[in-house]
Amino acid sequence: MSPLDRRAFLTRSAVLLGAGGVGGVGALIHGSDQASGASTAAPSAREEWDVSQAQLAARNQFDGIHQAGILTPTQAQATFTALDSLAGDRGTLEATLRALSRRARELTAGGPIPLLEIDDPPVDSGILGPVNTPDGLTITIAFGASLFDGRYGLGAQRPRELIEMPSFPVDDLDPAQSHGDVLLQICAHQRDTVAHTLRELLRTVHGSLQLRWNIDGFSGAARGPSPHSSARNLFAFRDGTANPPTSDAALMNELVWAGRGEPAWAAGGTYQVARIIRQHVEFWDRVGLSEQQNMIGRERASGAPLGGTEEFEDPRYDLDPDGKRVPLDAHIRLANPRTAATANQRILRRGFNYTRGFDAAGELDQGLMFVAFNQSPERQFATIQTRLNEEPMIDYITPVGGGYFFAPPGAQGAGDWVGSGLFAAAS
Amino acid sequence: MAQGGRGAGRLFLVPMLDSTARRWTLTALAAACVAVGVFLALTALGVGRSTHHTDTAAPYALTPLATYLPQAPHVRSKVVVESSQGAVQGASATPAPELPPLPASAFATPIAAYRRYALAQLRATQGQLVRLQVALQANDRAAAQTAWSNAFAGYLRLGAVYLDGQVALGAKVTALNKAIDGTPGGLAHGVASPQFTGFHRIEYGLWSGAAPRALVGYASALAGDVSSLARLLPRAPLTPLEYATRAHEILEDAARDFLSGADVPLSGEGVLATDAGLAATEEVVATLHPLLKRATDVTGAVDTELATLRAAMSNVAAAHGGRLPTNTQLTQQQSESLDGALEGALEALSQVPGALETEAPPQTPQIPSRDVRIDP
Repeated sequence: MSPLDRRAFLTRSAVLLGAGGVGGVGALIHGSDQASGASTAAPSAREEWDVSQAQLAARNQFDGIHQAGILTPTQAQATFTALDSLAGDRGTLEATLRALSRRARELTAGGPIPLLEIDDPPVDSGILGPVNTPDGLTITIAFGASLFDGRYGLGAQRPRELIEMPSFPVDDLDPAQSHGDVLLQICAHQRDTVAHTLRELLRTVHGSLQLRWNIDGFSGAARGPSPHSSARNLFAFRDGTANPPTSDAALMNELVWAGRGEPAWAAGGTYQVARIIRQHVEFWDRVGLSEQQNMIGRERASGAPLGGTEEFEDPRYDLDPDGKRVPLDAHIRLANPRTAATANQRILRRGFNYTRGFDAAGELDQGLMFVAFNQSPERQFATIQTRLNEEPMIDYITPVGGGYFFAPPGAQGAGDWVGSGLFAAAS
Repeated sequence: MAQGGRGAGRLFLVPMLDSTARRWTLTALAAACVAVGVFLALTALGVGRSTHHTDTAAPYALTPLATYLPQAPHVRSKVVVESSQGAVQGASATPAPELPPLPASAFATPIAAYRRYALAQLRATQGQLVRLQVALQANDRAAAQTAWSNAFAGYLRLGAVYLDGQVALGAKVTALNKAIDGTPGGLAHGVASPQFTGFHRIEYGLWSGAAPRALVGYASALAGDVSSLARLLPRAPLTPLEYATRAHEILEDAARDFLSGADVPLSGEGVLATDAGLAATEEVVATLHPLLKRATDVTGAVDTELATLRAAMSNVAAAHGGRLPTNTQLTQQQSESLDGALEGALEALSQVPGALETEAPPQTPQIPSRDVRIDP
């Protein structure tokens, strides 16, 4: 076959591929119940999608006063990727972050993949098919303290409390899984959406931002009994019960969004504490149920505070000053004593479970990708963590990585990008 | 949990599962009932973004429940799953323990025997520490590494040194243990922290190229701390609960910290450390044997599984010329045999504390009625 023939063949294929792509778009846009690809026959009455097509089409806004993926209800799947900057100067870093936001905006919106020259690598890896369904995708971009070192002249604009995450007494931090210049938090309902998004974003920043650490997470499924019931972590206890309500904007202003005392560009951003907490699950599973419940302070099955019957019940520590019901060193009691003095210490947790193989002793490497958004890590996260230093649960967990990051305010539409305020202020 | 489920006598499953999923769900629910011992109900709520077919099915009854007989060899006890009919849910639904509580005084003889054992191990460790100091003074790295390994294993043969931190003496012992055996993980400046002392500080120096002689100060401080511990140990408090828990947890620590390599990243002496934990466990279990007699199923499983682990350890040593290899020297087959035997032993040992309780689990008081303030 001559080169010319080969090119002609490929072009013809491209037309066919394009046609298939258009068909896919039609199916999506019209909410057709028709399976794409092999058969155009209408499905039988009993045939149904395995995956909710409405959920695949669900779209979050990338742009906004605040970034998405903070107050957004937790999706089923996530990946957390810390990157280090290799950019040689501030202009290169700025161009990279601009491109990162642009691509993140495209992926969050979804849509058909453009077809370019058939002999060029495709502009999109295409693993979701010819149309990228949004699937509830959120991409949250945050900066680590190291981005504000001497390299890019950003130091004067560093958020006031953004430091390298300290090593708490329970920690055994592995530098290879800790810190980083930029953190990407990618969440969606389906695993393939998350995998695709990470690949596409890395293509955008290759050469300037390089992988430092990465971990995949998932949420426990909504198994009830009510739609509001919190999902379980890998210790089998419900996690997130006492989260402050994200619908309360005034409360979010008090607990989540940075502002007072911060550089002007940081207003509307938030500190993101991300911690990879290994849970020694075999050990945990070999502990008596009553001891487990006393360590947490809740009943395992229902999630009710000890002595209660319902997950969201107030534990009423005021009526249990000696810890006869909920031990004084129970996790929920130390984490959130529910007093007037500790009310402004509350954090917004948005963690994910993780599983990733096993260690050299043949024990599973499972745990919690702990994520907390808060206005002041000093006043909030670190204060809580310090109270938890002596909790009995520490024998069963080892925080091994993560870091402190700052998620800037959201981008304000096409052309704007996450971090633009910082770079404008620093120039 | 849904109020409507209380005492209903059957379990409602999500009515959207195909038959295979339903079977699995039943299995999972049965297991959950065993573990919790309470009635468990699921409703069809809360699956707003269903990924399943929407066939309708009648709520599925799950009574009577069967006898649960675990297949795992180290869990010999038979648990009868009670019908959910009439079962009480909530934290107060504590099933009666199988065995009556033991008097605390029954532990006096075992704990006294353990103290004698622990002191003997400490004395042996002190001897090894003298050799370590001599080797460090001579700047002899190989001899110092050998002495370090022997002294470290000697110390670990005590078994975990955690005592009741609420008691002043217990807190002192805990602090000494931290100075002797602490790791740099939680320290503000890691390995550069002045609080990083003891065995792991010397390990760090000996295996990372520091001049052995520069470590003499750490070794003499370590020897002093071990001597202090030897003076305190005979008087340090040790409750029956702590002692019974120790039978289980010494080897949990070995799996988590040593066979994993986590706490011995440089020397790699995790197998040796696990062997020391096994020796301590064998001693603790031997002292508890008279008390464990009443729980024959537990005792049988513990003895069998500990013997299996001991045999696996001996096989590994034999394959390495009589000396226990480092973690990285283990072949995959050796690693799997040790890991598997250790996990088997831990499953059996986890039954020990429950078989040796000195008091019935207290009933959790209920939260007072809701007529008072309820926070949102």
